[in-house]
Amino acid sequence: MLYPAPTQPRVPRTVGVGGLPWLLLLALALALVLGPMPAARAQQLLIDQALSVEADGARFPAAAAALRVALPDDWSRSRPGSQGPVWYRVSFSAAPGRGADEELLALQITHVCATLSVQLNGQLVHHGGRLGEPYSQDCSHPQLIVLPTALLRPGPNVVDLKVMGHALETVGSRHRAAGLSALMIGPLHELQASQRLQTTIKVTLPQALDATLLLMGGFMFVLGFVNRRESHLAYFGALSIGWALLDARLWLREWPLPQRTVELLLGVLLPLVAQAAVQFLLRYARWRHRAIDLALPLQVLLLPLSLMAAAPDQLYRLTLAWTALLSLQVLAAALFYLHRQWRERRDEFWLMGALLAVVAVSGLIEIAAQRLGTPPLSAQLAHLVMPLMLVLVGLRLVQQHGHALRQAEAGKAQLEQRVREATAEIERNFRALSDLKVEQVTARERKRIAADLHDDLGAKLLTIVHTSESDRISTLAREALEEMRLSVRGLTGRAVRLADALGDWRAEVVSRLAQAGIEADWSAPDDLTQTLSARAYVQTTRILREATSNIIKHSGASYCALRCQVADGDFQLIVQDNGEGISTEADARLDRGHGMATMKQRAKQMQGQCLVESGPGFGTVIRLTLPLDHALEGA
Amino acid sequence: MKNILLLEDLPEIRVWLRKLVLQVFPDSQISESARVADALALVTAVKFDLALIDLGLPDGSGVDVVTKLRDVQPETQSVVVTIHDDDEHLFPALQAGAFGYILKEQARELITEQLQRISQGEPPLSPSIARRVMAYFSAMKKPHVNTTLINVSLTDRESEVLLRVAKGYTLPEIGVQLGLSRHTIADYVKQIYRKLNVSSRAEAALEAQRLGLFGR
Repeated sequence: MLYPAPTQPRVPRTVGVGGLPWLLLLALALALVLGPMPAARAQQLLIDQALSVEADGARFPAAAAALRVALPDDWSRSRPGSQGPVWYRVSFSAAPGRGADEELLALQITHVCATLSVQLNGQLVHHGGRLGEPYSQDCSHPQLIVLPTALLRPGPNVVDLKVMGHALETVGSRHRAAGLSALMIGPLHELQASQRLQTTIKVTLPQALDATLLLMGGFMFVLGFVNRRESHLAYFGALSIGWALLDARLWLREWPLPQRTVELLLGVLLPLVAQAAVQFLLRYARWRHRAIDLALPLQVLLLPLSLMAAAPDQLYRLTLAWTALLSLQVLAAALFYLHRQWRERRDEFWLMGALLAVVAVSGLIEIAAQRLGTPPLSAQLAHLVMPLMLVLVGLRLVQQHGHALRQAEAGKAQLEQRVREATAEIERNFRALSDLKVEQVTARERKRIAADLHDDLGAKLLTIVHTSESDRISTLAREALEEMRLSVRGLTGRAVRLADALGDWRAEVVSRLAQAGIEADWSAPDDLTQTLSARAYVQTTRILREATSNIIKHSGASYCALRCQVADGDFQLIVQDNGEGISTEADARLDRGHGMATMKQRAKQMQGQCLVESGPGFGTVIRLTLPLDHALEGA
Repeated sequence: MKNILLLEDLPEIRVWLRKLVLQVFPDSQISESARVADALALVTAVKFDLALIDLGLPDGSGVDVVTKLRDVQPETQSVVVTIHDDDEHLFPALQAGAFGYILKEQARELITEQLQRISQGEPPLSPSIARRVMAYFSAMKKPHVNTTLINVSLTDRESEVLLRVAKGYTLPEIGVQLGLSRHTIADYVKQIYRKLNVSSRAEAALEAQRLGLFGR
């Protein structure tokens, strides 16, 4: 079996409770991708003991007193504070009778931190990393070193390893502290399979996830930054980017900076990521607080300052303390977020709750790994959980954003529709209002003209009526006054109910005829609902007045029948007298003397007609027909 | 002897009216006035039996004089003499307490007859005025109007007369239709005029009270 090296990241910011099923699922997915896990073979030799000497030099110091140590050798336990170099010597026995056609042997080191050189039987076969400060940070990459067949001896062989690295106290995380894992010697092709798996888990997957996080985070950040109402997206973007950078220490081999600077840079990143995480959770819960908005950036300043101020060998403890504090903050934010979601009874609670729980479990595993130093494979997998969860949450956020966008589009369309409706309504109202205004102004103007006519023209005509010596002039002036009054009535423009008009006409005609001693027989239907335009009313009044005058003045009749009726949409008025009638010879004079032409013309103006039937001795019949729908129209 | 107020702004017409009035009431005392203000002053000073009042005057409406007369001399008969034959002008005057109206341009004989009839208690009533009165009293019946204070309503007979006048029947015709004497019909019309005035005044008082309440 393999011993995956304790190459754990720092304690993650998010804490929760976990899902073993998730890890199993992840492992299953990995297994599917990588093929079946290579089983340990009989030919493979696990070396878990070595002679070790802390000394510099080009060769294993055979003269020095060597200690027998168990592998993996964690320097923080076996030689606290040491930076090496440390020489290790292991020996193994090659199988006798190995021929040239035998397979190549290889040495696999799952975890070595950080600079390593390997000698086989005194010959250098591998060298990796810088020999001086800053040492390589190459702690994650598993090493596979081919053991050349030419250098192998039958029987016992000696492998010397020289390791240099940073003491735990001076780094921020245990997985960057110096140490050497157990060694495995076996056929090259078998070890290559296990090498692939380890490289994938420790390097390739984090790289892929980091690239995804960077892309997605950048996208989300821009999205949230542009759209201030969705500030949680910006914070999530920052969180993703921050985590991607933080995770880069897993696979980035060489840092071109002194180790302490690198630790400080990571120390700056840590509170930034924590701030992004806390703010994302709070904003996502639609809540913000001024104090928190201020305290978090302050913390971002404080943390690197405290790291700078601390002694180099206090770095690990300080970082661990800070990490715990930041984790608690994120945990509090996560609980607050879940509480809000629960209270609002949103489905989101379950999804986010599950994701946060997985993150929390991975966090717990991480903490355990930091405490114990030698993490099992599950810690390695747990370490992939955080970026994976971030990707999932990111996808969910994008989905929500898209949904919100669609809703906004729908809302916008709805709003536009309503704006259009409101605009139409306003326009309608405005038109109605201006119509009303025009009507009011017209009515006022008509009233003014009417008053003027009465006061001015009316007074003068009246004076003529009562001061003229001539009866004819008095009569003409009186008629003019009546005409004027009628015109004014037409001016006011109000429609008249046909029933009311009939009442007015009856009262006038019957009393005039009665005064002239002519018997009147008026018949009209009751309860007519139609209305007449002011103009039709006035014109009909004039026609009727003229006809009555003719009967009184010229006919010599003793009886007059007046019939009103409504038929086929027409209003019909028949005036029949028993007078002398109008002789055919008189027809020529008819128009001038009796105003028949005027009556006919008035009827014509209303799209109606006025027929006069008469013969000497047979009386006169006047038939007036008006189309009612036309009479209904405004004057 | 009758004391008569004559309010008319046109001098020729005033002279003509004066002659006409003297013809109907030969031994009457006529006080002439051309302005509303003068007439209002006269009304408070002199007791009149009859007042002939023009509506459109240079310094206001004759309706004010009608109102004032009704207040200070309820026994005086106010008659509107006007060239306005429409109910829009006449109705307010009738509401204010005018007892009939005469259209100025009518022939002398006609006016003489009408004046006599009015003074004998037979005021004229046109269909349009009748319709206005009917509309007024039916609006009074509506629930939102406070009927506890204005409990003036028309009797069935009065309503019947109004309805027939609105349809264009003359008062003598209505008398025949209802089997009543001419005087009885005239009494109904007088009652209608009186109730219109009483109701309008009550309504005006109520309105004033309401405004007063809100004005406080």
